[in-house]
Amino acid sequence: MRTSDRVIKAFLQLSTVISVLITVLIVLSVFSETMRFFSHVSPFNFFFGLEWSPQTAIRADQAGGSGSFGAVPIFVGTVMIAAIAMAVATPLGLLAAIYLSVYATPRFRNAAKPVLEILAGIPTVVYGYFAVVAFSPLLRAGGDYLGIEVASESALAAGVVMGIMITPFIMSLSEDVISAVPKSLIYGSFAMGATPYETVRNVIIPAAFPGIIGAVLLGISRGIGETMIVVMAAGLSSNLTLNPLEAVTTATVQIVTLLVGDHEFDSPKTLAAFALGFALFIMTFLLNLAAQIIVKRYRQYNV
Amino acid sequence: MFKKTERQARLILKRIHKNKNPFVFSYGVTPAQKWIVKRKRTEKQFKFFGFMSIALSAMFLGGLMLNIVSNGYTAFTRVQIYVPIEFSKEILDPENTGDRAALSKADYRKLVQNGLLTLFPANMSRTEKFELFALVSKGGYYQLREMVLADPSLVGRRGQLWLPAASNVDMFIKRHSLKSEIGISHYKVSNRQFEMLKELIDKERLRKVFNKTFFLGGDSQEPEQAGILGSFIGSIFTILVCIAVAFPLGVATALYLEEFAKENWLTDLIEININNLAAVPSIIYGLLGLSIYINIIGMPRSSALVGGLVLALLVMPVIVIATRNALRSVPHSVRYAALAMGANPVQVAMHHTFIYALPGIMTGVILSVARALGETSPLLLIGMVAFLTDVPKTITDPATTLPVQVYLWTNNPEFGFVENTAAAIIILLLVLVIINALAAWVRQKFEIKW
Repeated sequence: MRTSDRVIKAFLQLSTVISVLITVLIVLSVFSETMRFFSHVSPFNFFFGLEWSPQTAIRADQAGGSGSFGAVPIFVGTVMIAAIAMAVATPLGLLAAIYLSVYATPRFRNAAKPVLEILAGIPTVVYGYFAVVAFSPLLRAGGDYLGIEVASESALAAGVVMGIMITPFIMSLSEDVISAVPKSLIYGSFAMGATPYETVRNVIIPAAFPGIIGAVLLGISRGIGETMIVVMAAGLSSNLTLNPLEAVTTATVQIVTLLVGDHEFDSPKTLAAFALGFALFIMTFLLNLAAQIIVKRYRQYNV
Repeated sequence: MFKKTERQARLILKRIHKNKNPFVFSYGVTPAQKWIVKRKRTEKQFKFFGFMSIALSAMFLGGLMLNIVSNGYTAFTRVQIYVPIEFSKEILDPENTGDRAALSKADYRKLVQNGLLTLFPANMSRTEKFELFALVSKGGYYQLREMVLADPSLVGRRGQLWLPAASNVDMFIKRHSLKSEIGISHYKVSNRQFEMLKELIDKERLRKVFNKTFFLGGDSQEPEQAGILGSFIGSIFTILVCIAVAFPLGVATALYLEEFAKENWLTDLIEININNLAAVPSIIYGLLGLSIYINIIGMPRSSALVGGLVLALLVMPVIVIATRNALRSVPHSVRYAALAMGANPVQVAMHHTFIYALPGIMTGVILSVARALGETSPLLLIGMVAFLTDVPKTITDPATTLPVQVYLWTNNPEFGFVENTAAAIIILLLVLVIINALAAWVRQKFEIKW
């Protein structure tokens, strides 16, 4: 090989090393800040404490003045909003995928798919704007009409809008999975006189089940990592509740509120954001890994 | 004979379907027939649900677009008021120094107020005067000051000028029919102001013009003075930095993995790693940028440079995956042919495979630009949320981007910012549509079907 070719190959190798290094860097940087946080606050208090009020940390030298960093309300809020989102996105996305692959005429499919692709391409900040300007007030008005009090930053509003955001994602993933179901199985079912619904229920869904679970896991991972919608539409202060009509906060909201603005880098308040980020990273990483393994194994069985 | 019985049978079945008993006083509808009816009903319901879920998504999209357009279209025009102005020496430069410092500190509000008073009868009460003065935006005062500072010879002269109306008046004129007073309180316009505005319209001293400020201004506390140019330029700088870093790195990584790396546990690990990287929440990249770029390396906070580098980390896995897919679709015959002609592996990859895969790679890169352009959350963490009235000039200046501007304006409680926010979203979505159309065009025009 000529020298120039050697240089090119070395550059390619170097780039690969760098892109692997990025993951290592993410883990290391966030992990080291997390460890520094845990030198201020014990992990037990962080993972099991019920009270979250980092803003009370006034002075670092002050005894007991480090605020309280019990992250349970935040995890509950995060999971609740993600659960609401998935309760919207899973049926919508799955039904849409089934309708498009089983019932829809090619003409309808060509008209409907761009709609869902546009939904997938809209920046999340726009969803956040819509949740704040239109959806929350609508929900509040509906609540007033029924005599139910709905908080202006209710978990329900943020969750539903997030669900709509995740819907096209679930749809395209489950459509891939459904189209991978062997045609012989589907035709066999039709030949036995089953209606399309019976085929979907007894053949397509069981055959595509692992893939659908994978899609749902990826959806959950997106839901708990989603930031802009919740920063704009969910609450800022922690609130340990399971009522979707009240305001709750999420890990991503807390990271943003703790880190936006001026801050010194040694206070437990700032480091708490990294601890939350690390927890978030681990959660989403495990979910993605599980989804990938499930999908990969499923593809091997079903060729 | 046979045909006749068939016709009879059909008739009977038809009556069954209408739930009428064909055989009077005989056995009624059989369980099997009931079962068929039930199956058909379930089938119909299921199909309906499937259709509804698509319809719901479409309705949401429609509602979103309708909301944005109906809130935002008015931001593209501005209401101006034609006011006679006398640049009187007594107000601007009472000591006759002719000095710029004195001119820049002078009370330009007084000029506008005096001009407005000449338009209406002199016997106005104090509150009426205040209501009258509130019709013109503060931006009008700044406009006069800039005029005088640019041309001090204006002092002592008089003329008529189009000045911007206040935010609430602006919205009111653009969105209200002016035929009745119903609903004027929504715009915080008083009854007396309503009459004044009507009078101004009759005198043709009110007009709507294209809103240049919105496209040429930076951010501002006043909704009628705020523009998107600053954040737009910030977005361009950020994207340029992002692509300059992510494109070579991502493409090179993909080329190495696809064309050179041996298949073993290490490459498997790298592949899983990259797939996972693509699914890491974007806010985590913000944490990374904050702790490494700003804290350890010490790059300027809030700058487009740091923003671009953070987004580069974010889109790099996306570019790697797109490039690998494009490289995979190039058939092996191309590689064998090049090898047979004596090319070495690097030449095969760089001169042949890469070139054939380029359209696919470009499509992937353009789509990842679209993704980076809409990204907001990591930029919040590295401080690109500052309130900036200036347009950034270099990549190290503090900057915001278009989606961050949308976020900032949404948070602003002032009424007039709603139309600005929606209009900024319209611009953002238009840019995204153009980028996606470009990707589709590249794919259609250059992609090779093997």
